Amino acid sequence: MEGAGGGGSGGGSGVSYQRFPRVRIREMKDEYMKFELRDTDASMANALRRVMLSEVPTIAIDLVEIEVNSSVLNDEFIAHRLGLIPLCSERAMEMRFSRDCDACDGDGECPYCSIEFQLNVRCDSDQTLDVTSADLHCHDHRFLPVDVAQRALAAEAAGGYDAPEQRGIIIVKLRRGQELRLRAIARKGIGKDHAKWSPGATVTFMYEPEIHINEELMETLTHNEKLSWIESSPTKVFDLDPKTDQVIVADPEAYTYDEEVIKKAEAIGKPGLVEIYAREDSFIFTQKLDAVRLSDDIQDNDDQFGDLTRNIQGAAL
Amino acid sequence: MNAPDRYERFVVPEGTKKVSYERDTKIINAASFTVEREDHTIGNIVRMQLHRDPNVLFAGYKLPHPLQYKIIVRIHTTSQSSPMQAYNQAITDLDKELDYLKSAFEERISRKLRRVDMEY
Repeated sequence: MEGAGGGGSGGGSGVSYQRFPRVRIREMKDEYMKFELRDTDASMANALRRVMLSEVPTIAIDLVEIEVNSSVLNDEFIAHRLGLIPLCSERAMEMRFSRDCDACDGDGECPYCSIEFQLNVRCDSDQTLDVTSADLHCHDHRFLPVDVAQRALAAEAAGGYDAPEQRGIIIVKLRRGQELRLRAIARKGIGKDHAKWSPGATVTFMYEPEIHINEELMETLTHNEKLSWIESSPTKVFDLDPKTDQVIVADPEAYTYDEEVIKKAEAIGKPGLVEIYAREDSFIFTQKLDAVRLSDDIQDNDDQFGDLTRNIQGAAL
Repeated sequence: MNAPDRYERFVVPEGTKKVSYERDTKIINAASFTVEREDHTIGNIVRMQLHRDPNVLFAGYKLPHPLQYKIIVRIHTTSQSSPMQAYNQAITDLDKELDYLKSAFEERISRKLRRVDMEY
């Protein structure tokens, strides 16, 4: 990537004010990811967070046709609950949005923009029957509700054991003689439209703190004063090195930008004992998802950005 | 009762242009760009990028009303440049930066996955 040269289609100066962000992934699991973003601006980090929450497309049930419902919950209640069930959305990028799909007339039969689920449960025993997300059946096995897919994997790993607590997300409970029969159509959507399509349970970022301890001033504190100063921080940021009796930084990222340690330092008469400031160009992202898709796919939302900027620019000319 | 539909936040209706441009009659080298169906996500990022351009004297964005889904970006430049040029430059740079970010991510992720695979 060159820094100079290659100005925009309307620009004539030929100089680019582009930044070159760096990423470092700290942890990456199926539904959790922690990474660092450096050399970019807070607006970029915030935009990334906003897009992860609201503009990454996923799949959720959008249209429900109820044939029989004799349960205690009414139709729209059940339809609402069905919409909130997370579905495996790994194929979401290949699907089209229902409003963009010209191959169908929007009734849910089209293979390009919708997926059909069936639910057919009747309680015939005296025990209460739980209708769960495991009862949602689809002909295409790539679209299982998320927890069902997870348990299938876990069951393989554990040799087929299925604990009763992990039966899936409960939709409704049925008594003897009550029945629920419906057909549900899932579509692609984004979180901006309705929260059921949001993939991220939580996405947060924090500025990386830079901590400087004034060593000379620290020397003037007694051992007990050092301990009480370390204790004044609600999170464990500092620690006392037992061998040298020095205050060291145990975990800079545990610092939550409360200034308790600074206030305590002033209270004991030693202002300027420590200086903590947030580095303006370094962010640590933590994201936890509904395991709707692998967290690394979420980064592909940068695609959205690319389209948007081209859109904004092209139309202006 | 009067709330607009949720999809209005991002679907540009037929006949409306995504971006429109209005020159300021009273100040030279000043203009406003109205971007339809966008919000702070794009507004803030374009504004910060415009600030990096030394030819830009003033750059700001606002959402005129939370229920009207559009942003207005106002740019004043020196006579070395024009608002149109500054806007296009900012967007091109952002595009490149995001492409760079995306490839950096993908590279990191594939590296991470390969390392995980090697452990098995």
